[in-house]
Amino acid sequence: MDRRQFLRRSSAGVAGLAMLAGCTGAGEGDNGSGANGSSNGTETTGTGADSTATTGSASSGGTLRVATYSSFTGEDTAGNWLKSAFEEENSGTTVEFLTPENGVNQYVQRAKQGAPIDADLYVGLNTAELVRARKKLDKPLFQSIGGSLDGADGLKKPLRIDPKKRAVPYDTGYISLVYNENEVEEPKTFDSLLESRYEGDLITENAQQSDPGRAFLLWSIIAKGEENYLDYWEQLVGNGVKVLSDWEPAYQAYSDGEAPMVVSYSTDQVYYHGPDVDMAKHQLGFLNDQGYANPETMALFESANNPQLARTFMEFVLTEEAQSKIAVKNVQFPAVKDVTPSEEFDKYAKEPPETVTHSYDELAGSVESWVEEWSRLVASG
Amino acid sequence: MGAVSDTIPDRDRTTADAGVALDDITVDFGGVTALEDVSLSVDEGEFFTLVGPSGCGKTTTLRAIAGFEEPAAGEVHIDGRRVTDLAPERRDVGVVFQHYALFPHMTVRENVAYGLRFRDPPGNVTDDERVDELLSLVDMAGMGEREPEQLSGGQQQRIALARALAPGPDVLLLDEPLSALDARLRERLRVTIREIQQELGITTIYVTHDQSEALAISDRVAVVSGGRIEQVAPPETVYREPRSRFVAEFVGENNLLDGEVTESAPPRTTVDGTPITLPESATVDTGDPVALCVRPEVLSLGESEMVSNATTLTATVEHREFLGDAYRVHCSWNDRSLLVKTDSREPPEGTVTLTVAASDIHLLSDSGR
Amino acid sequence: MVAAGRERVNARRWSERLAVPTAFVLTVAILALVFYYPVLSVLREAVVRAGSLTAAPLVDVLGDPFYTGVAHYLFTAPLSIPAGVLDWIRAGFPSVEFGLFGFTAFQAFLSTLASVVVGLPGAYLLARFEFRGRRTLRSLTILPFVLPSIMVAVGFLAMFGQNGLLNDVLGALGLGQVNLLFTLEIIVLAHAFYNAPLVTRLVTTAWEGVDARRVETARALGAGPFRAFRDIVVPQLLPALLTAALLTFVFTFLSFPIVLALGGLRLATVEVWLYARVQDLELAEAATLGTIETVLSLALTYLYLRYEARQTTASGGTTLPRRALAVGWKTLRDPVRIGLAVYGVGILVLFVGPLVSMVVESVTGPNGLTSAYYEFLLDQQATTAAGTTKPLPAIANSLAFGVGTLALAVPMGIVVSVMATRGGTGSRLAETLMSAPLAVSGVVVGLGLLQTLVFGTTVAGYRFTAGGALAIVVAHAVAAYPFVTRNVTPALAGIDSQLVDSARSLGASRFRTLLDVELPLVWTAVLAGGAFAFAISIGEFDTTVLLAEGVESYTMPVALERYIGNRSLGPSLGPATAMGTVLLLVTAASFLVIERLGGRWEP
Repeated sequence: MDRRQFLRRSSAGVAGLAMLAGCTGAGEGDNGSGANGSSNGTETTGTGADSTATTGSASSGGTLRVATYSSFTGEDTAGNWLKSAFEEENSGTTVEFLTPENGVNQYVQRAKQGAPIDADLYVGLNTAELVRARKKLDKPLFQSIGGSLDGADGLKKPLRIDPKKRAVPYDTGYISLVYNENEVEEPKTFDSLLESRYEGDLITENAQQSDPGRAFLLWSIIAKGEENYLDYWEQLVGNGVKVLSDWEPAYQAYSDGEAPMVVSYSTDQVYYHGPDVDMAKHQLGFLNDQGYANPETMALFESANNPQLARTFMEFVLTEEAQSKIAVKNVQFPAVKDVTPSEEFDKYAKEPPETVTHSYDELAGSVESWVEEWSRLVASG
Repeated sequence: MGAVSDTIPDRDRTTADAGVALDDITVDFGGVTALEDVSLSVDEGEFFTLVGPSGCGKTTTLRAIAGFEEPAAGEVHIDGRRVTDLAPERRDVGVVFQHYALFPHMTVRENVAYGLRFRDPPGNVTDDERVDELLSLVDMAGMGEREPEQLSGGQQQRIALARALAPGPDVLLLDEPLSALDARLRERLRVTIREIQQELGITTIYVTHDQSEALAISDRVAVVSGGRIEQVAPPETVYREPRSRFVAEFVGENNLLDGEVTESAPPRTTVDGTPITLPESATVDTGDPVALCVRPEVLSLGESEMVSNATTLTATVEHREFLGDAYRVHCSWNDRSLLVKTDSREPPEGTVTLTVAASDIHLLSDSGR
Repeated sequence: MVAAGRERVNARRWSERLAVPTAFVLTVAILALVFYYPVLSVLREAVVRAGSLTAAPLVDVLGDPFYTGVAHYLFTAPLSIPAGVLDWIRAGFPSVEFGLFGFTAFQAFLSTLASVVVGLPGAYLLARFEFRGRRTLRSLTILPFVLPSIMVAVGFLAMFGQNGLLNDVLGALGLGQVNLLFTLEIIVLAHAFYNAPLVTRLVTTAWEGVDARRVETARALGAGPFRAFRDIVVPQLLPALLTAALLTFVFTFLSFPIVLALGGLRLATVEVWLYARVQDLELAEAATLGTIETVLSLALTYLYLRYEARQTTASGGTTLPRRALAVGWKTLRDPVRIGLAVYGVGILVLFVGPLVSMVVESVTGPNGLTSAYYEFLLDQQATTAAGTTKPLPAIANSLAFGVGTLALAVPMGIVVSVMATRGGTGSRLAETLMSAPLAVSGVVVGLGLLQTLVFGTTVAGYRFTAGGALAIVVAHAVAAYPFVTRNVTPALAGIDSQLVDSARSLGASRFRTLLDVELPLVWTAVLAGGAFAFAISIGEFDTTVLLAEGVESYTMPVALERYIGNRSLGPSLGPATAMGTVLLLVTAASFLVIERLGGRWEP
C-alpha cells in the first residue's frame, strides 16, 4: 500500500468514526471532499522534477481524477490499460478512477446542490446523459473542448454527436439484433418484427435505464418517425415483445433459449466464435440495413482541477494505439477513423451497412418525453 | 412504573415508628380510581393483612407500597423513610406473588441469590451462606440446583419466599401467596409463613381475598372495599365488632337484621314485629333504625334459662349441613333465612326455638343500608 | 432501614437508570440522522415547490389515470363519480383498471397470499415435528433473504425457464411444459421465494411460544384437536402471521429489481417507475411517488401495530412437544405426513431448485462443465491491478459489516421494543414512526443518503460529509433494527409482569431487569431478530455502494454486481453466479454459526 492510499484510508476511518467529520474548507471544494484533499498534497511533492521532462503541456504533472463506470476499471480493462500507459508516458502523473454507482447523475446532483465535484473528467457518457446534464442544471457541467484536441479531426462523422464539442467520443457500439437462425429467419426490417411468425420472439431492454434498450427505442423512432413510433410499439407489444431491465438479464434469457432474438451489439461474435460455438445462435440482424450508433464519450468538467492534464489524457485516448486497445478491451468500435484494433476484432465485429444515431440537438428536448411515453405504453400494455 | 427521583429520603417527617405508613394515597388507572385517600399505619414487626373481594384495591395498595404503582396523590413511608418517589429497587421490600414468579431460566439457588447481586446479605455471612440459610428456613435445603419447573407449587412458593427474604428487606409484601395452592397445603404453608415472620420479626403486609386466612395469621386486619378501607383492627375485633355492613357480611358468616328501636332503656327493638333485647351497653333512642349482627354460633338451639336478657325466636329448619364438629342449619323465621351453627350431637329438625343473648348481638354503627 | 453499605450497586445506579433512556435517545438520533433527514429531504420535493407548500405534484400523480386508473376521477372530477358508477353498473360491471398503483397493490396482495400459503406449512413442520437437521433447516430458512435479486433471477430463469430444470423434469415425466417466465405468476413465486421464509420464521417462533398447558386445558375441557388448535393456538399465531403478512405486503409493494428482472417492464410496479424517475433526475415526481407509497405503507403499519397491541401473547410455560416426523411404515399412511411430503416437493421446486440452478450455472460454461468462473475469482484475488474487485475483501467486508450491524441493530431494536411495550398514549404512532425504515422505498432512502450525507453540507465554512465503514454499518442497522423490534416486542409483551416486578423489588434496576430477566426469556426472539439484521446487512446493496469511501469497501453483493459487468470471460453471468455461490455458502455458514452460538445462551 502506498502512502497516499494509507493516508486516505486512515482519514476515512476518522471520518467514519465521527460520522460527520471528514471535512475540508468549503472554498477548495474542487479538491474533492473529505480526505481526498490530502492526497493532492502528498502527491505533488514527488512530481516537481519530472514535470519539466514532459513535453508539450505545461502542468501535466499531478493527479488526474477520472469518473467512470465500474466495469471500465479493474483487471484487464480499457481503463486499467489507459492508466498504466498514460502514467508511463507522462511520468509523475497518476490516474485515479472514481466509479460512482449512479454514474454521471452523481455529478449533476452534486452541481445542483453545490457539493464539490471530485473529478476532472467523465468517461462513459452517452448522448442522452449529456442532454440530461445540461437540462437539469443552470450552468454547464462540462467544458467545450473537442475542437482544439489533437486527434479530434479523425473522429468518425456519425459519432460527432455534440455540436458544442463538450462530449468527445472514444468508442462506439452499434445496436443490432442477435438472433438464432436455427429457430427464426433473419428479420430484415422493423416492420417484419410485427409479423406473427415472430410473435413472442424478441427480447429487448428497458429504455428507462438500459443503454441498448434506449438505443433500440431511438432507432425505432428514426425508422418509424416521431409520430408513428408509439403505434409501432403498441403493435410490437401486441406481438409479445419482452422488455427486461437491462442487457445482462436480457442476454442471459436469450442464451437460455427464452426467445430467439435479443437486442444487443454488433460485436456479439467477437465473444462467440471458434470451433465449439454454434454460430447459428450469434447471427446479427441489422434491421432496415441499419445499426444505431451508441457512442461512448468523455467530457471535461467545467470545474476540473487539472484541465491541462485532462486534455492531455483525452488526446492520448484518441491516439491510434489507445483507440485499438480500448476497442479490443471494451469490445466496441474505435471512434477514430481507420483504426484496426486487431485482426480478430476486424473479422468478428460487424459494422452495419448504414449507421444511424441522434445528435445532441435532436435529442435535447425530446428524448425524455419519448422514453416516458414509450414506457407508459409498455407498462400499461 | 413509578417516576424516579433522586431526592434523599426525607427522615424529618415523622410517621411515628411505623414499619409502613400510607398517607392519603390515591391511585388512578386511566380515569378510574382504584384507591381513594387510603391511609394506613403498619407497626414495625407487625403481620398486617389486607383482605377484601377481588377488585377492591388491596393488591393496588400493596403495589403502591412496593413502588409498582405511582400514586396520584399521597405519601408512602417505609421505616420512617419517605419512598413515594423511589423506584421499586430502592425501597428494600421483598415481594411474593401468587404465581411465585420464579425466574424460569435460573436455578433455585440463582433465584434466591438474585437479590444479593444488589445488596449485601444482612449479618456477616457470604452470599452462599445466606442462600443456604434461607433454603433451610423455608425447609428446602439441598434443593438449590433444581430448576423451578421441577418443583411443586408449594415448593416454588417457599423458594419465592426465600428469594424475597434473602436480601433482608425492611418489609415483606405477600400478594395472595397461597391462592394457587390446594386447601391443605394452604393451611400448612400459612403456618410456616407466620412462623418465619415471627422468627424474623419482619414487618409483613399480606394480601388475601380469604377472610379466614386473614383472621388466622394476622396481628391486624384491614378490610378493603371499593378502593377504601372499611375497618382496621385485630382479627377478633373485626370478627366480633364489624364496623360496617360490608365488614359484617364479608368477614365470617352473619345474620343481619334491620329493626327499629322501641325502647331505649333497656334497649329493645322489633324486627318484623318480634321484640329483641339489645345489649345494655347500646346507646340508642326510640325510633332509631338499627342493624343487628347475629353470628350463627351465638344462636343456640332450645330455650336456655342460663341466659338472662335473652330473646327467643321460633324458626323452621329448612336444610342442614353436617360439618363434623357441628351442624350448619339454615332456618326460616318470619320469611327470613337465619343461619345457625350448633355443636349439638342431635341433628336439628322441624320447628326449633332459637335463643340469643343480648350481649351476643352486635349493633352496626352505620345502620343505613 | 437501608444501610448504604449494604447497597452494592450505588455507583452503577445512575448509569443503569440512564441506560435505556440514553440508548433510546441515541436510537432516535441515529434514525433522525441517517433516515428521517435524508428521506424527508427527498420527499419534501413532493409538497414544496419554489419554497412554498403545494399539493400540485400529488394531485398531478393521483389524477393521472396511468397511475391510479379509474380512481383518478377522485382527484380530477369527484362530482362525476356517481354518474360514472351508474354507467359502470349499466354496462354490466366491466373490468376496471386501477393503474400502476392498483397493479402494484394487486401483485403485492397475490404475493402476500402466496408467501403465507408457502410459509405456513413450513412453520407447522418446524414447530411441531422433530427430525434430523431441523435446527439446520431452520437456520437456513433465512438464506433467500440475503440473495441479490439478480441471482434469484438467474436461478429462476434456470429453474423455471423454457429450457429450465423444471421443464426438463416435467418433460421426462411426460407432463408437458410450463411457461412461467415474464408472467405475473413468476413474480408472485419469486416474491414468495423471498418472503415465505419470513412467514415461516416468524410463525415458527410464535408457535414454539404456545404454552402446551393451555392446549391441554382446552383438550381437557372437551375441545377436539382441531378446536383446540383453532381456539388456543391460532390466536397466538395470528399476531406473528399478520406481522409477516404485513411485512410481505409492504416489501412486495415496494419491490422492484425482481419485478424488472423476471417480469419485465410490462409488469412494472410503482417502485420501478420511481427508480426510472430518479434516473431521469425527475426528482419531484419521484418524491411524489415515494410519498404516496410511504403514506400507504405507513398507514398499514400503523393499523397493524394497533391490532398487535391488543393481542396478548403468552410466553413461558412448556412448549408444545414435537412429534417425530418419520414414524416407520405408518409415515406413508398418515395424511398429515403425506401432505408434508408433498409440501416438501413444492419446497424443492421453489427454493432448492433456483438455488441449485444458480450453483449449477456457476460451473457450467457454453460448452459444458467448467471451473473457469471460480478460476476467475482466484485471478481477481491474485491481481494487483487498481480498481479490481477481489472476492476475499468482499467476504471480509460483508462479514464485518454484518457483525457490526448485528451489534448495533440488536440493542437499537430491543430499546425500541422496551419503549413500545411500556405503552402510553401515542405510543402506536411513535412505534410506527420507528418502524418506518421498513416501509419507505429503498430508492428514496438511497437518494436521500446521497443528497445529504454523501454530498454533505457546509457549516461554518467546513464541509461535513459522512461515509466509510461506520456510516455503512449505521445505515444497515437502521434498515435492520425494525426486524429485531418486530420479533422482540410481542415476546417482551408476553412476559409475566410479576417476573419484572419481582426482580425490581429485589433491587434490580429497570436496565438490570432487562438484562437479567427479560432478555434471557425472549432470547429466541432476539436471536431471530439478530439473524434478520445480519441478513439485511449481508444482502444490502444500494446504501453500501453509496456510502463506501474509496473503492475498497465493497461487499459480496457489490462484488457480484461488478462481476456482472465484467467482460473478461465474455458477456457471461458465470463470474457473478460463482460469486453468488460464494455468497450463499458464506452466509449459510454464518447463519449456522449465529444460531448455534446464540442458541447456547438460550435458556
